[in-house]
Amino acid sequence: MTQLAIAQIFKALGDPVRLQIVQRLSNGAALCLGELSKDLGISRQGARKQIQALVSAKVVQLHPAGREVKVQLDATTLAQSRAFIIALEAQWDERLQALKQFTEHG
Amino acid sequence: MQNTIQRDLTINATAERIYNAIATPEQVVKWFPDTLTGEYRQGAQAVFSFGEKHSSSVYIEAASPYNYFAYRWVPGGSNFIGKVLTVPHTLVEFRITELEPGRCKVSLTETGFADLPSDIAASSLAQNSNGWDFMLARLQQYFSKEGK
Repeated sequence: MTQLAIAQIFKALGDPVRLQIVQRLSNGAALCLGELSKDLGISRQGARKQIQALVSAKVVQLHPAGREVKVQLDATTLAQSRAFIIALEAQWDERLQALKQFTEHG
Repeated sequence: MQNTIQRDLTINATAERIYNAIATPEQVVKWFPDTLTGEYRQGAQAVFSFGEKHSSSVYIEAASPYNYFAYRWVPGGSNFIGKVLTVPHTLVEFRITELEPGRCKVSLTETGFADLPSDIAASSLAQNSNGWDFMLARLQQYFSKEGK
C-alpha cells in the first residue's frame, strides 16, 4: 500500500460521521446500507455520500445481497493504518525506556 | 480507527525527579530530543530537534509540577515547524502518580490522530519511512517482549 493510500484512509476517518459509521461496523459484521444510514444526524443521501467516501478510501466494502447492499469493514486497509499508530507506539516505548534509564540511573 | 496512544510504566524515582526530566530543557534533551531551542514553558513554543535533519515545533499546553506536563505537536517527531495551534496536531500528556516514596507510575497519552489531515499523515509516514526498517525490528522486539 502506498503512502498516498494510507493518507486517504486517515482523511476518510477524520470526520465524525464517518468515524461513527466505522464504529458501527467495528465488530466486523456486515450491515445493510439502509440500517447503517439511520440516526447519523444527516439525510440518507448525505449518509450514502459519506459511505461512498469510505468505499473510495477502501475502508469499507459494499456487497450486493439480493435487493440489499451490505457494508463491511475492509480489515486489510485498517490493518495498514494501524501500522502507522503501532510505529508511533513503538517510538514512545523506546522514549519512555530512555526516560526510565535517565531518571533511575542518569 | 484508533485515536489514542496510551502507555504506562513504573519508574523508581521521585515525582520531582521524573517531572524535571520531562519539563526542564536541560534534562529533556538527555532522553528525548537531541536539542531543544525556544521557550520551553507553558503557553510558549519550543523546537525539538532529532539528529541533523529532523525538527518539530512543540506548544507547551500545561506544566504543573510535579504531576502533569502536556504539549501539542505534529506527530512523527520531524514534521512541522511553525505555529502548532494553527494546524491539526496531537496532544501529548505525561501524568506522574506517586505509588510509594521514590516509585511512580508515568502515564503517556497521545490523542488526536483521527483529526490529522491526509497531507500531514502522509508526511508523517514519509518522515518515518527513513527509520522504517529499524522500526520494524523494534516492533518485533516489542511483540516478543509482550508475548513473554
